[in-house]
Amino acid sequence: MAVKKEEKYPVARRYQVADIQVSRDATPVKPSVVVNLVKKAKHPVLVTGGKLLKEEKLVEYAVKFYEKGIPIIATGGSSKPLIERGVKPQSIVFPLHYVTQFMLDEEWQGFDGKGNYDVVLYLGFLPYYLSRMLSALKHFSKITTISLDEFYQPHAKFSFTNLTANKEMHYQMLEEVLNGL
Amino acid sequence: MAFELKKGLFAIDEMRNVSIKIGKVIDEAEEWDEPMGPTPKPGILELRKWDHKLLDRFEPFYAPMSDYCNLCTMGPCDLSMNKRGACGIDLKTAKARLVTIACCIGASAHTAHARHLLDHLIEEYGEDTPIDLGPDVNVEAPNIRTVIGIRPRTLGDLREALDWAEKEIVKVLHSVHIGNEESYIDYESKALHVSMADHIGMEVADIAQIVAFNLPKAEPDTPLVDTGFGIIDKNKPVIVVVGHNVMYSRPIMEYLEEQGRIDDFEIAGLCCTAHDMTRVNAKTKIFGPLSYELRVIRSGLPDVMVSDEQCIRADLLEACKAVGIPLIATSDAAVRGLPDVSDWPVDKIVDALVSGKLPGVFLPDPEKVGQVAPLVAEAMFKKHGGDRKYRFFATEEDMWNEINKCTQCMNCVFTCPHNLRIDQGMAHAQKTKDLSKLADLQERCISCGKCEQACPKNIKIINVIMSAGFDQLYNRTGKTRVGRGPVQDTEIRNVGQPIVMGQIPGVIAAVGCPNYPDYASDLKVILEEFLRRKYIVVTSGCHAMEIGMTKDEDGQTLYEKYSGSFDAGGLVNVGSCVSNSHISGAAIKIASIFAMRPLRGNYAEIADYVFNRVGAVGFSWGPYSHKAASIATGFNRLGVPVVVGPHGTKYRRAYIGRYYKPEEWWVYDIKTKSKVNIEPAPDSLLVAVETKEEAIVQLARLAIRPNDTSLGRQIKLTHYLELSQKYLGALPDDWYLYVRSEADLPLKMKDELLHILESEYGWKIDWSKKKILEGPIRGFDAGFNPTLVEEVYEKYAGEKPPQ
Ligand code: SF4
Ligand code: SF4
Ligand code: SF4
Repeated sequence: MAVKKEEKYPVARRYQVADIQVSRDATPVKPSVVVNLVKKAKHPVLVTGGKLLKEEKLVEYAVKFYEKGIPIIATGGSSKPLIERGVKPQSIVFPLHYVTQFMLDEEWQGFDGKGNYDVVLYLGFLPYYLSRMLSALKHFSKITTISLDEFYQPHAKFSFTNLTANKEMHYQMLEEVLNGL
Repeated sequence: MAFELKKGLFAIDEMRNVSIKIGKVIDEAEEWDEPMGPTPKPGILELRKWDHKLLDRFEPFYAPMSDYCNLCTMGPCDLSMNKRGACGIDLKTAKARLVTIACCIGASAHTAHARHLLDHLIEEYGEDTPIDLGPDVNVEAPNIRTVIGIRPRTLGDLREALDWAEKEIVKVLHSVHIGNEESYIDYESKALHVSMADHIGMEVADIAQIVAFNLPKAEPDTPLVDTGFGIIDKNKPVIVVVGHNVMYSRPIMEYLEEQGRIDDFEIAGLCCTAHDMTRVNAKTKIFGPLSYELRVIRSGLPDVMVSDEQCIRADLLEACKAVGIPLIATSDAAVRGLPDVSDWPVDKIVDALVSGKLPGVFLPDPEKVGQVAPLVAEAMFKKHGGDRKYRFFATEEDMWNEINKCTQCMNCVFTCPHNLRIDQGMAHAQKTKDLSKLADLQERCISCGKCEQACPKNIKIINVIMSAGFDQLYNRTGKTRVGRGPVQDTEIRNVGQPIVMGQIPGVIAAVGCPNYPDYASDLKVILEEFLRRKYIVVTSGCHAMEIGMTKDEDGQTLYEKYSGSFDAGGLVNVGSCVSNSHISGAAIKIASIFAMRPLRGNYAEIADYVFNRVGAVGFSWGPYSHKAASIATGFNRLGVPVVVGPHGTKYRRAYIGRYYKPEEWWVYDIKTKSKVNIEPAPDSLLVAVETKEEAIVQLARLAIRPNDTSLGRQIKLTHYLELSQKYLGALPDDWYLYVRSEADLPLKMKDELLHILESEYGWKIDWSKKKILEGPIRGFDAGFNPTLVEEVYEKYAGEKPPQ
């Protein structure tokens, strides 16, 4: 199923109805916008989460991001299937909570020593867990966060819209991001 | 013998209507000869310096749930991007205030529980009732000794500790008033302070009930009791008790024992009261944690419900009413809008409940509860004649009618705390008549009921899930070892050295609530990994009952497979929430019994000792209550890191260090009289992980301590590296940071690791001797004697600490 027009996308519905926002909701984005953001980034990174242990397809996409030159920080045990497919993550042992704390520190040089990351992509997280981390980065950092998960993430700067009802569309959108990179 | 008559009134013979009140009688022979330390009964400020030491290293991390604050009438205020509100507070400080409030709630829950219990017990048994925790516990009340500076010998003595805790809670609560505190670090210090008070409240409560109710006294081999949903003999009247204060349900057991009729009834508990009932009488049973409350009620099984306090559903009365179960509320903390029937005769109360004239009553008189509950249960049982609807729908057709109503709108999914895919389960069942996808939700659902309110079709979603997964639910039963209370001094004597040296690779304390991120049984998988590896596993509360209902292929729970001793590979259930004080107490006792450090009023030294030497890690896989927040924060002040499940991020605050900042990782070494850079161990005090794989690796990682001997470090690294390879697929990124010399390296991997150190990290290796020449943060020194506290340094080094 090809996804071309934005109007075809489902509405950006919060994963949790009671997640109250005031200041800024994530901008729901289509794949081409993600492509542009990543292309313009100086130091982008993909952070993967524990859902990769349950959803094989997400592992495949993460591998493709890696092959396109996006480094990976693997959390939640997602490193295991990635390493088995030849990925060398920048870090495997630090949970997202640590990684976020490091990113909040402007002096942090990143896991690769090249300075803090400016654009961070997220894939494969428990929505409520990721939500808190995105909230921390939203309030206390300048980092551009982009959620590529199936649940719309209001605290991100940019997020895929809500794709929970249609897995194929989610995969298709990830596919389109990868094709553009 | 000396009398101290400072406080009190005197009267001489001739005078009438004069009473003599003696403030306190102190028997000199029994005076505690340990000298008083620097901080007995500390106020907010006395341990602030210690807190700042911790907080310098573990920078608080805030993850706001909401962008705004509406705590006062100047608001609501938009605090996003760390803006300030009308009162001047910024977002970080506002979140720190919220954490402090949460810890105050948790601490007051335990402390008020303790007050309730203590006043009642002193009235019933007298204030001179001696504190005797069995022949193997001489260092009783380690928290009270360390914080308050007293050695309580009687129930009456516990009052002094409780008075202090209540005072400190009020003071900290005062500080959260608008406009008071400006620094998030100082709020954190207050959160740490009030959470330390929480451990005092818990210790008072548990010691008091152990002594007065004769609960098990540090015995490793307590009985095993039935646990799980399907444990009840349906042919008997069923009394179900829910909450955290056994004071109200104990008379039920006593009354029935006196009548010789306890075997004619089933008495089962939900939440911590269940633990404490089994400690009072091992004929009672454990239904399960809070997440079992609606399951049990909607199954229609109880003939009467008795509620006390804390962690009870706030719609308990509604839920009971809906299925016709009479409710007896007992604690003044949870009156539930019910009429107070304390001065009604027993028959009248029973009649009102059985006839349905009243759906519930408030009965704060424990003795009366003891009589009323069995009478109501029996009468209700007679009414239905044993033919209970032990199911969630009257017929299968009713269930399918509900399932067929679903339109897959997903409203439920977007309100479920776990975003469980109810829609998919319903759709699958509609299409294929196969309930398995719905059944699979049974163990992951916490039965909170939010989905049902969101469902436009009013589907009874919990009932659907529980019916679909009924067999799994019904058969998830097993045995829990009854809570034993404290750890023995002899056990500490045996394991103190191997823990401090590192040969016992760690103590994992699994405590907390049932808000698990996935299958509840994952908890057992996580803990067994450590039991097999000879860590000591300690547990309490909901976690302790969860592992009591998760069986192996051979039908055994962990309690049946591992001993109840506080020893390598032992699984110790201390008991209920308030028994958590015995876990912090065990850490303190290591400092006292093994290392002979004085406890009395000496908190900072003891916490510093525990932090640098005792490889204990707290673990709360399903955190949700405020009490869990204060318990964890109390452990943090004592220098014990805590790993929480992913829902724990919603506490909004974590304490996470930055391993890559070498200047933040240092200690004073008393032996070499120098300031030494050290490895970042442990590198966080509170962190939330996402998956069980991640939890396992972090627990092993955070058990490393600067004081480990070479053998100890080698053992700890062996587990850490193996677990990382097993669950993360490779060596962890940071293992080299923990290597001080070649002797620290896991034996089996030594050559391989030396090669990696040389090629990847540029370390210099003498290959002829297989020795590390250059590279580590510091070398290993057998006499290494670390401390972060200047006063402790001065005390043992005899001079001011180096700059
Ligand atoms: S407490 Fe402060 S930030 Fe909160 S609503 Fe009142 S003025 Fe606003
Ligand atoms: S009752 Fe179960 S399925 Fe429903 S919202 Fe709560 S956890 Fe989710
Ligand atoms: S809210 Fe009700 S109708 Fe909608 S998907 Fe959930 S169960 Fe079905």
